Amino acid sequence: MASEEESAVKEPLDLIRLSLDERIYVKLRSDRELRGKLHAYDQHLNMILGDVEEIVTTVEIDDETYEEIVRTTKRMMPFLFVRGDGVILVSPPLRTV
Amino acid sequence: MANNNPSQLLPSELIDRCIGSKIWVIMKGDKELVGTLRGFDVYVNMVLEDVTEYEITAEGRRITKLDQILLNGNNIAILVPGGSPDPE
Amino acid sequence: MSGGGEKGSATTKTPGDFLKAIRGRPVVVKLNSGVDYRGILACLDGYMNIAMEQTEEYVNGQLKNKYGDAFIRGNNVLYISTSKRTLADGA
Repeated sequence: MASEEESAVKEPLDLIRLSLDERIYVKLRSDRELRGKLHAYDQHLNMILGDVEEIVTTVEIDDETYEEIVRTTKRMMPFLFVRGDGVILVSPPLRTV
Repeated sequence: MANNNPSQLLPSELIDRCIGSKIWVIMKGDKELVGTLRGFDVYVNMVLEDVTEYEITAEGRRITKLDQILLNGNNIAILVPGGSPDPE
Repeated sequence: MSGGGEKGSATTKTPGDFLKAIRGRPVVVKLNSGVDYRGILACLDGYMNIAMEQTEEYVNGQLKNKYGDAFIRGNNVLYISTSKRTLADGA
């Protein structure tokens, strides 16, 4: 069992530290989302993720009906580096409340 | 030379004089806020009270009322002491 | 010229004071993109990085997502608000 010091969230980055080796959700700019296992991170929120699913959402306007067409594209990547400045939100896996 | 000019007011002093008064904040992009200035720091992050937020969207102007906020100074473009986009 | 700052200090609340006062409270965090996050503020740092609990994501006022815990990178933050909000659509 982790000691209280290790498990306490005293600053926001502690939330990321506690998610190491867990699958996390990352919301990025330009409508990109990632789900993968967090291997490493730094204070800029640069991150190394493994077994990553990337979801890209695009909205197109139909030329004739002017309807919005929302498309999501999924792809898998075994390993990647995320540059921190594109990160909007990081969410750890749901813990038991 | 400029330092000898008694009428010169540092920008931060001007903001300091607004504490306790209404201030109009125009952001980069299509957002404006009006509220009572409670305090600010060196980045001009500001604590505002009784805030009205104006967002210009495709559907028109959206107005949001907020009790108290900490506004990030990063995207502030213009500060207008006392001013407001609404006459009321 | 002297005294102006002191006179105001009774009601002055710096960003630091605000941050100390709002931990553990329900907040609304608005991003520059216009997206709102509502939840309980766990903690935050000088970059306005924020850790929230029971986070709900609102896009155009509509609930889009829920997160148990969420870390929000500070550079995206427009403001942190303490209170419930009322909405009205102006002309």
